[in-house]
Amino acid sequence: MNAPLPQQPAAKAPLLPVSLRLAWRDLRGGLGGYWIFLLCIALGVAAIAGVGSVAGGLRDGLAREGRTILGGDAAFSTVSQPLGDAQRSYLAARGRLSSVVGTRAMARHGDSGSALVDIKAVDERYPTAGKVLLEPPLQLARALAAQDGAFGIAAEDTIATRLDLKVGDRVTIGTADFALRAILRSEPDKLAGGLSFAPRVLMSQAALQSSGLIQPGSLARWTARVDLGGATVAGDDALARFVADAKAAFPEAGWEIKTRNSVSPEFDRNLGRFTQFLTLVGLTALVVGGVGVANAVQAAMERKRASLAILKAVGAPGRAVFAMGLVQVLLVAALGVAAGLVTGATLPFIAVATFGTVIPFPFVPSIYPGALGLGAVYGFLTALVFSLGALGRAHDVPVSALFRDQVEPDPSKLRLPYRIALAIAIAALIGAAVGFSSDHRLAAYYVLATLAAFMLLRLVAYGFAALARALPHPRNVELRLALANIHRPGALTPAVVLSLGLGLTLLVALTLIDDNIHRQVNQGKPGVTPSFFFVDIPNREAAAFDGFIKSHAPGALVEQVPMMRGRITALNGVPADRIKAKEGSAWVLEGDRGITYSAVPPSGSKVVSGDWWPADYHDAPLVSFDRDMADGLGLAVGDTVSVNVLGRSLTARIASLRKIDWQTLGINFVMVFSPNSFVGAPHMVLATAAFPGQDVPAREAALAKDVAASFPTITTVRVKDVLDAVNALVGKLALATRGASAVTIVASVLVLAGALAAGRRARIYDAVVLKVLGATRRRLLLAFLLEYGMLGLATAVFGVAAGSAAASAVVEHVMHFDFTFSWLPALEAAAASLAVTVGLGLVGTWRILGQRAAHYLRQP
Amino acid sequence: MQQTAISLDDVHVSLGRGAARVHILKGISLAIAAGEAVGLTGPSGSGKSTLLAVLAGLERPQRGSVRVGGMRIDDLDEDALARFRGARIGIVFQSFHLIPTMTARENVAVPLELAGTPGAFDRASAELRQMGLGDRLDHYPAQLSGGEQQRVALARALAPDPAILVADEPTGNLDEETGQSIMDLIFDARRQRGATLVLVTHDPSLAGRCDRTIRLRSGLIEGEEAETRRPAAAAAR
Repeated sequence: MNAPLPQQPAAKAPLLPVSLRLAWRDLRGGLGGYWIFLLCIALGVAAIAGVGSVAGGLRDGLAREGRTILGGDAAFSTVSQPLGDAQRSYLAARGRLSSVVGTRAMARHGDSGSALVDIKAVDERYPTAGKVLLEPPLQLARALAAQDGAFGIAAEDTIATRLDLKVGDRVTIGTADFALRAILRSEPDKLAGGLSFAPRVLMSQAALQSSGLIQPGSLARWTARVDLGGATVAGDDALARFVADAKAAFPEAGWEIKTRNSVSPEFDRNLGRFTQFLTLVGLTALVVGGVGVANAVQAAMERKRASLAILKAVGAPGRAVFAMGLVQVLLVAALGVAAGLVTGATLPFIAVATFGTVIPFPFVPSIYPGALGLGAVYGFLTALVFSLGALGRAHDVPVSALFRDQVEPDPSKLRLPYRIALAIAIAALIGAAVGFSSDHRLAAYYVLATLAAFMLLRLVAYGFAALARALPHPRNVELRLALANIHRPGALTPAVVLSLGLGLTLLVALTLIDDNIHRQVNQGKPGVTPSFFFVDIPNREAAAFDGFIKSHAPGALVEQVPMMRGRITALNGVPADRIKAKEGSAWVLEGDRGITYSAVPPSGSKVVSGDWWPADYHDAPLVSFDRDMADGLGLAVGDTVSVNVLGRSLTARIASLRKIDWQTLGINFVMVFSPNSFVGAPHMVLATAAFPGQDVPAREAALAKDVAASFPTITTVRVKDVLDAVNALVGKLALATRGASAVTIVASVLVLAGALAAGRRARIYDAVVLKVLGATRRRLLLAFLLEYGMLGLATAVFGVAAGSAAASAVVEHVMHFDFTFSWLPALEAAAASLAVTVGLGLVGTWRILGQRAAHYLRQP
Repeated sequence: MQQTAISLDDVHVSLGRGAARVHILKGISLAIAAGEAVGLTGPSGSGKSTLLAVLAGLERPQRGSVRVGGMRIDDLDEDALARFRGARIGIVFQSFHLIPTMTARENVAVPLELAGTPGAFDRASAELRQMGLGDRLDHYPAQLSGGEQQRVALARALAPDPAILVADEPTGNLDEETGQSIMDLIFDARRQRGATLVLVTHDPSLAGRCDRTIRLRSGLIEGEEAETRRPAAAAAR
């Protein structure tokens, strides 16, 4: 006889080790239906870790090569005039001093025309770090020396090609002839000058002086480089002290100071922005893949229903069943994350192995734990967010299902603890996306947009199914079957709409943004948009130049304005380096800006606040500021702006704010001063010429050649060349963006393939029954075709609409220009959506159609 | 007098929702003594399996009370019921319901592992040897015959040494000879361990091996017979 049973059930056993064992036993036979889950996580993690690692390689490369790029530990630059003697002596007393002068000019060679070149004039100490590679391999000093009555130059081969030059040929720059002694293959400090769209010409400073290009007010940059002995001699603290002391010693110097630790803050910032953008795109891939994770876990729990019920029957509490599922999910996620991390971590090495010689930056491939950690965090959180629902519902798998076919549907309401866990996981994922981003606001917008897209897509899926249900039953059997498949339980509708819809939205948005940027860059208005900028027109030659243009290019619209370069040193008395500017306005405070003066408001801008000064104004200096930049810098009418121009400090009161139409590409300046501000200051004139009418390229080419011949020291910048350079850059960025969004599309396709595979058994059953009832393969195929076609089309319509809305928001509110919708990219995306849905669907269906009915009907 | 192992009082169970809702048990009251073997018979749909599920703590009645070993189980929550089953009830199903991804030994060890019993695998091996499956310990269900699978399921049911063994048509998926050997094992185990046995069956000869047979029809107890070999310890009320 048994002893009486105790009143309390057995004590709780620790769940995790048992759950771990049970999960492991279940997985050891293979990953089964978890492959799509694993691939989706691996793909997203690889994208995020890869983007972070490549960016880390670039950042480290710049940091490690900072001294070489800068040509010293610190560099002090001034524009339009060299450093003063006192400043040079001060710097020379503290380190080894060298200098370079940079300017742009026109190079001419016989009848081959003229071309813009980017001159770097160096002293005898150049290069202070790294090596200059010449072809033929001459000593630099020898290559640049004066010989046979001409200084030597080394130039990049693009200029040699453009002007049909060979080594040994003579070329005219400014007013002097030079001998091309060598082709310049690489220079260690190329990046110090920033992005240049003209080929480099290396010459000595004596050669530059002989060219007649350098005159008071010329647009040239003088840089004094100070070698303190590197980081081992002058550590970061010593370097910072050195810079601070120099600033304190010459508060009015108006120089721009860069150190080896921050060679290009702008590049760093742009790299950071682009990395963040690509990381968010990678996160989208992960979120799209999350739908695959959710489908896979849901299907796995369905498949294991009997096993879970058995476990509960033999004593496993619901939370043990949940724990077992959770352990499995985490194990699979760990595999996916590991695969993603390995791929992401090797990406910089692959990049170097594949493109090493053409990467225009110092690149240090390495393992970046931060980037990998970020990928892992996103990977695990995504897996949790998209699996906790299905896992939580497994808690309530009814054991009674073992006795009978299911009569009652599963309770769909998730228990409170799982709802809390799910909410925490979602909050953690959102927190990570926002918290780890450098621009929290942008990331928050991204999160909101993604959540909105998710909810919208769910609504669209629900609405589409409801519509299919509500439609009157068509007489056509195939159409009826297709409609029924769209709304029946377990239909593909939510999977297709969610996964493909999100991927397509992103693709359409990125394509349309790209298209709008190209449109914006190339939207010249003939006759209004200038064809040329003429830089460094000496003031005394301005009238002659004007007459020349009018006679050589009759009908051209010519505009001339005085131009100087200056730096903002303080706003309302607060030094510029202590001012916290908004993201889009910070550039105004960095480096030197073009400034002008004018008696009347410039064309292309409109005074929106304050008043323009009278034409005969002669009182304290006034300035008119660009309204958007003033907003970003916290400036209003009445505030003061201090600038340093040609070494002279000037403080002006803001008299007005202007709204500038930058899109005309005409001459416009953030700051326009009252004419009395710069009385007597040497300055140059900047001119533009726009050609109305026909045959513009031929007239442009002729004018460029004539100007170069008649005004050898004036630099002609052809707008088309600049736009070509910008287009090329935008094209490269768009390529990277498309690469990242392709990852999202691959994730979408994976999710779709997974959903199709999961529904295959039910499809076969349907097909078999229909075949038994007399359906031919052609009719079945037509029904499937209609179903997938309608699903793909509905998703495409949503993707195009949502993607266009997102692109329009970004273009108008982030990039601040008018959005133009383009049909072609939208239709391409829609066609791609249809092709993927129908294609993948039919690949799966083809095998279904060939199934023999008897085999399936015999099965229980 | 023998103690009552299981008692049901006016138990009602309905399944399904809305128009599909079916009233399956319509007020069942019965008592089963500790150590008694009771057969549940009746036509399909009469409520046998549901009654078995209710007294094994697998199904909760909408009305009425269920006591097992003096403890009321109809108001336990899901997790308490699971622990209760793991410790006190052994269940054998018609379709065996082994976990396909686990070996025979692992299947038998699961309830012991869940209960935190030390030496779960040794005990599982011993149970399987008792069932004549000493050479099948590491075989997966798919590598075993139907009879072998049901013996593994029986070993799993017996491993925690439950006070109550319930079996839902345990021979329904087996040929006659194999079914016979399984029933021998069930009755032998019940005799050796002194467990209470509740057996759902269509087979009158199997029901005849029990101390008492309760006949169900349309969710109600239609009648019962006590075997003459052994006196019934408690009568259905």
